[in-house]
Amino acid sequence: MTDASLTVAATRPAKAPAAKFLSGAFVPRLIAGVTILALWEGVVRAFAPAYVAKPSGIVMAIPKVIVDPAFLNASFVTLSAVAQGLAIALVFGTMIGLLIGRSVVADRTLRHYVNGFYAVPMVVVLPLFSLWFGYSGATRLATIVFSSLFSIIVNVADGARAVPREYVEVSRSFRAGRISTLLEVVLPASMPYFLAGLRLAAGRALIGAVVAEFFTAIGGLGYFILYNSRTFHHNEAFVGVLLLAGFGVGFDMLVNGSIRRFMPWYRRDEAAS
Amino acid sequence: MTEPMLSTDVQRPETTVPPVTSQADARIRVNGLVKRYGTLEVFRGIDFEVGAREIVTIVGPSGCGKTTLLRCLNGLIAADEGEIWSNGTRVTEPIAGMAMVFQHFGLFPWKTVYDNVSYGLRMAGVPAAEIARRVPHFVNLVGLKGFEQAYPYQMSGGMQQRCGLARALAVEPNVLLMDEPFAAVDAQTREILQFELMRIWEERPTAMVFVTHSIEEAVLMGDRVFVLKGRPSSIKETITIDLPHPRTRETLREARFAELREQVWSTLMSEAREAEFKLET
Repeated sequence: MTDASLTVAATRPAKAPAAKFLSGAFVPRLIAGVTILALWEGVVRAFAPAYVAKPSGIVMAIPKVIVDPAFLNASFVTLSAVAQGLAIALVFGTMIGLLIGRSVVADRTLRHYVNGFYAVPMVVVLPLFSLWFGYSGATRLATIVFSSLFSIIVNVADGARAVPREYVEVSRSFRAGRISTLLEVVLPASMPYFLAGLRLAAGRALIGAVVAEFFTAIGGLGYFILYNSRTFHHNEAFVGVLLLAGFGVGFDMLVNGSIRRFMPWYRRDEAAS
Repeated sequence: MTEPMLSTDVQRPETTVPPVTSQADARIRVNGLVKRYGTLEVFRGIDFEVGAREIVTIVGPSGCGKTTLLRCLNGLIAADEGEIWSNGTRVTEPIAGMAMVFQHFGLFPWKTVYDNVSYGLRMAGVPAAEIARRVPHFVNLVGLKGFEQAYPYQMSGGMQQRCGLARALAVEPNVLLMDEPFAAVDAQTREILQFELMRIWEERPTAMVFVTHSIEEAVLMGDRVFVLKGRPSSIKETITIDLPHPRTRETLREARFAELREQVWSTLMSEAREAEFKLET
């Protein structure tokens, strides 16, 4: 093997874009999407009052909404809170998860609490959080962290438990310290679990942010959606919903892009099998 | 110690290395080693020494505890009775000066060749400048020059084990532990790697304990062959391999090689047939 062939092996051969469109899932996906939108449009036009959201109305509303400072501000506030909350959950969730996964004592001590909190719906802790943190961004942030933290802990702990014994033996054989083993061996080896946890956490963080805004009327994207639906601006509300969905898709693309860029050794198809 | 292994007059007609006889020369000393898993005794009464420039190969049927013994030597698992001494230290956990080459390579998939090879050095606290100097040397030594930035998944099994070997050699151990290192590669690659290992060893001889289930490999590589068998197993026979160093492809054609291989074979096989047809009790 030469260097050139190594590079080829590292990057998958790219199909021509046109061929990819036709051969892949693109066509059925497009048909499904168009069918759903057409059904929606038809039903709303036939049976519902004028203010009910329909695809054409949403498309018309987009240009107006996406330049509205209120919408932009609300989106920025919510999405940056989600990013912050996810970052906090990521750091602490990973640390606690590694601890639980690799230490029997920590596992015995913490596992029931983690599983318990993981199962608690975030809605029920919201009244407590709003008492503790006030009707402010802090409550939203706390809710986001609460919603996303435990799915990361649970997944990272599972991943840390499932690390192949040989990797740990190699690190012991070369006299690696505990912390080094944890960060250099256990953490990368649990990467598939970690990423699964992160994807779950991102979804839950979005829910947490929106729920917090719904219940406490803190300004943000969730509140924007709530306010617009209550004032019969359903199409405008749906633009907000679309942005949330877009955030979910975008986050997934970001994660996949980072994997390809920074973890060439990690291949999803291999990890899945 | 009752076995003839104590009188270890390893003959190496073509080298200047003195035969290993004195206790002071021993790099590894094992006394009365016993390992149990629950009530199952894996091996018992294991006594031997390995000289500073000696290759000991251990052969035995599957499940005889070869690998378990090696992992005890490395300090990865604790023996239930007996002692292991190396470099003046009692081995209860992995010690400096020993390095293991693993059967399934044990490379970290998330590290490049370079980072895998430097791993042991970094764990030993070797300064970065020294690592940058040493790693290329060992990468070249095992023939992986130009592949420093490759990941394990891009490499064949043979290349991966070359990398595993470089990682072990890089810490400049005086005891090398080889856990069926070539069992997971194809036959041709295996042969190439055997001679590569011998070439590297001749350049810089160390004590080596080499576990294998290939009789030919055991005779080719070893200065002494320990035949491990029985339940619980023990060293049933020690066969001194008086073939000259360096061992090359020529060695395989020598009449003495065939003789010794037959000797190990008959020692090992005398019970193998019985064992194969014995029902578990």
